[in-house]
Amino acid sequence: MDKVKLVNDMVKMFGAEKVLQSELERYTYTYDSSFASQQNEYYPDVVVRLESTSDVSKLMKYAWDNNVPVTPRGAGSGQTGGSVAMTGGIVLDLSGWKDIVEIDDANMQVVVRPGIVHAELNAALSPYGLFFPPDPGSSAMATVGGMVSNNASGLRAVKYGATFQYVLGVEVVLPNGDVMKTGGLKSKALKSVSGIDLTRIYCGAEGTLGVITEIRLKLLPKPQSRGIMLALFEKLEDSALTVLDVFKAGIIPSGIEILDDGGIRCANMFKPDLNIPEVEAAIFFEINGTKPAVEEEGAQVKAIAEKRAKSVEWATDADRMAKLWQGRAVIGAASARFKEGKTRIFAGEDVCFPISKVPEALKRIKAISKEFDIPVVIYGHIGDGNMHTAPIMDPLIPDEVTRTHKVAEAIHRLALEIGGSTTGEHGVGFARAAYMEEEHGKALDVMWAIKKAIDPKNIMNPGKIWKLGRE
Amino acid sequence: MQSTYKMNFTEELKKCVKCGTCRAHCPLFVEIKGEPGSPRGRLALIKQLHEGKIQPSKELAEIVYTCLLCKTCAVECPSGVISDEIILASRNYLNEVMDQPFIKGAILKGFLTRPGMLYACMTLAGLYQKVGLHSLLTKTKLYNLLPEKLNAATKIMPDVSKKPARSRIPTVTPAKGEKKFKVAYFIGCATNHIYPDVPVSGVEVLSQNGCEVVAVEGVKCCGMPHMAYGETDTAKELAKHNMEILLKDNYDAVICDCASCSSTFKEMYPHIFAEGTKEQEMAKTLAAKTFDISKFLVAKTGIKAGKKEQKIKVTYHDPCHLKRAQKVFKEPREVLKSIPGVEFVEMKNADRCCGSAGSFTVMHHDLSMKVLDKKIKGAQATKADFLATSCPTCTMQLSYGLKQAGSNAKVVHPVQLLAETYKD
Repeated sequence: MDKVKLVNDMVKMFGAEKVLQSELERYTYTYDSSFASQQNEYYPDVVVRLESTSDVSKLMKYAWDNNVPVTPRGAGSGQTGGSVAMTGGIVLDLSGWKDIVEIDDANMQVVVRPGIVHAELNAALSPYGLFFPPDPGSSAMATVGGMVSNNASGLRAVKYGATFQYVLGVEVVLPNGDVMKTGGLKSKALKSVSGIDLTRIYCGAEGTLGVITEIRLKLLPKPQSRGIMLALFEKLEDSALTVLDVFKAGIIPSGIEILDDGGIRCANMFKPDLNIPEVEAAIFFEINGTKPAVEEEGAQVKAIAEKRAKSVEWATDADRMAKLWQGRAVIGAASARFKEGKTRIFAGEDVCFPISKVPEALKRIKAISKEFDIPVVIYGHIGDGNMHTAPIMDPLIPDEVTRTHKVAEAIHRLALEIGGSTTGEHGVGFARAAYMEEEHGKALDVMWAIKKAIDPKNIMNPGKIWKLGRE
Repeated sequence: MQSTYKMNFTEELKKCVKCGTCRAHCPLFVEIKGEPGSPRGRLALIKQLHEGKIQPSKELAEIVYTCLLCKTCAVECPSGVISDEIILASRNYLNEVMDQPFIKGAILKGFLTRPGMLYACMTLAGLYQKVGLHSLLTKTKLYNLLPEKLNAATKIMPDVSKKPARSRIPTVTPAKGEKKFKVAYFIGCATNHIYPDVPVSGVEVLSQNGCEVVAVEGVKCCGMPHMAYGETDTAKELAKHNMEILLKDNYDAVICDCASCSSTFKEMYPHIFAEGTKEQEMAKTLAAKTFDISKFLVAKTGIKAGKKEQKIKVTYHDPCHLKRAQKVFKEPREVLKSIPGVEFVEMKNADRCCGSAGSFTVMHHDLSMKVLDKKIKGAQATKADFLATSCPTCTMQLSYGLKQAGSNAKVVHPVQLLAETYKD
């Protein structure tokens, strides 16, 4: 379609203030955190910022009639290029649409628009004694719409699971502009098996099946009490074995997080008052519940950890807990501090291993790092086997870029080889589309059949999950 | 891309992993919403410019100038990207390669480098207020007919009809009691002309706490506005001039009552001179000797308040150039808490930028007012009689905001309240 006409039509339909069209403005929508998006500048033809279902419906009808690709986008904090427009067209920026439509505390649920940021939502829920449990490290900027679309989880997934477990229904603008609501038109039910679970299909669909314009979320009561234990290990494998011991004892902490030696160093560099001693691994156990339960479970976990740990710190002071948890939460970007003159990139960063294989996986990731001579910082959700790996490199040195790609490739292959997944919570985007066939086999064809049924023109976020050219 | 302001663009820009954490913290992005209004967006475009993929343009300059330089993104950045400094250096570059509006040059190179011209200008402004023209324009709303930016400036302009501080302070004020230090007092342009009671109080407080205070003569603007507008070469000339004067006598310390001035001396002067030069050594010496007045009182002299009680409720707003640039935030509060009778109450988001940012409030008035609105709501919730702060442009902005909100709370510098305790 003629690009000038497209831009002019958008301005006519939505007003100039909602349309970003200059080269500079459009450039700022070519990236997210992924290295893949930063190496390929996929410009949208136009960016439109909308904040109503009727406007989104209007936009989709137009896109349908004119075969224009549409890429929904939240904060652009994703790590797979999921929100960049590979084939041009419209980037639909929903991050300004932050309304909380309803907090229904009696029924423990909330209805929100897609642009609400995770941390803002939980701050608003706090006075009601409720919370939305998934806790991504990007809580401060990640939108709930993006979380649903990527089926995000985060630091508390070991106890609370992923986003999909809390999505009761979504309002979706379909590719042809029609609007539908999943989970029941008027439902306030906390569970339902009425019909095929369309809500579940939209969790993790990465904007390939329509635009999510409203989300109904299940909430949980905020735990009364919380404690954080920091256990330090001189051997990386001992940390993973300790986690298995905790599970064997019948304890499920609300979070079990790991930082390897590089991660510890970077956390200390960003927040010097964390002052974590430099050992091979630090494990953060978060335990929540009633006060006596936290004390009891805390004591048990401490006893288990002490068998292998060099030292164990049990913090119940709110300030210290906040610092420790935040120190872990931001390590993704803070690992860029690992070495002067280098940075970290997001590639091969989200593999998930069977928890029994985590000790082996950690050893093999270190070996991959050595083989390609690219330092890799390891951190993440060891409690559910979801490890994040941060290759440390200089993006301006081509040879380092090549070797880093090999590291990412080897880590993805490792996950598939030992029965894991190439992505535990960040999604596929276009950065991991190449692995989907191998990971899913026939199931990928069925996913495509669903996609074609809902979006026969393939205008919704083309190139994501399935490589371009699939049609 | 090169700039006089020292910056290794390649290395510093490489650090940004585009995680978007800055979106959560930038006080402007909350209002602008689109990605070009985020620190990440600005840096991405500066990287494009640095790599020669885009050319300098008015549109780019507008994006680069739509930043408060509040440092919030830099402090909160997990990857350690010094966004505010990258913005400053890129403004410097753009200033060198692009044509600049006449009015900007006239203000930065004319009035602000010549204390005499600034005095004349402020006298005229004071006269305009004294004869009632300002009041007439305000009451009749005739200022709406003025060009947008002049209109904005007229709206927020405080009373400038008082005698400048410099004419009210003797060159040397002896220490009251035992002399512990001999200090130079740097009277900045804004406190001298707009809030002259601040340096008057500052000198009194220092004197009461054992300092011989020299109100150093001949100094010029610190150069902060010049650096903010990319006029780094002019800032260098001002820096050289000020350093010669402030380091001539061996003062124990150089005291500032303006967060921007002290931040410029401590943080910026060392960045604008080449490594190993005499000027850079002088800049480092000056940086080490410079103190915000509250920091000096707490760290060096100790605070001895007077006996006169102040039965007032006070809250405090942290200027960006004090908290984030100099990590001074406990000290102003300690000054306030030392005052007999004061009930200190913390306001929500006390360290969030007020939206003033020097002339930002004039150049981007509507945006600035949105940022201010949040600040004022936080201040009003405390029901404080006084909103204390340590920066004259914050004072101007907050005073305007409180007035617009119908509040009777007054904005003062902490030393003004402390000085009251010494009065009989």
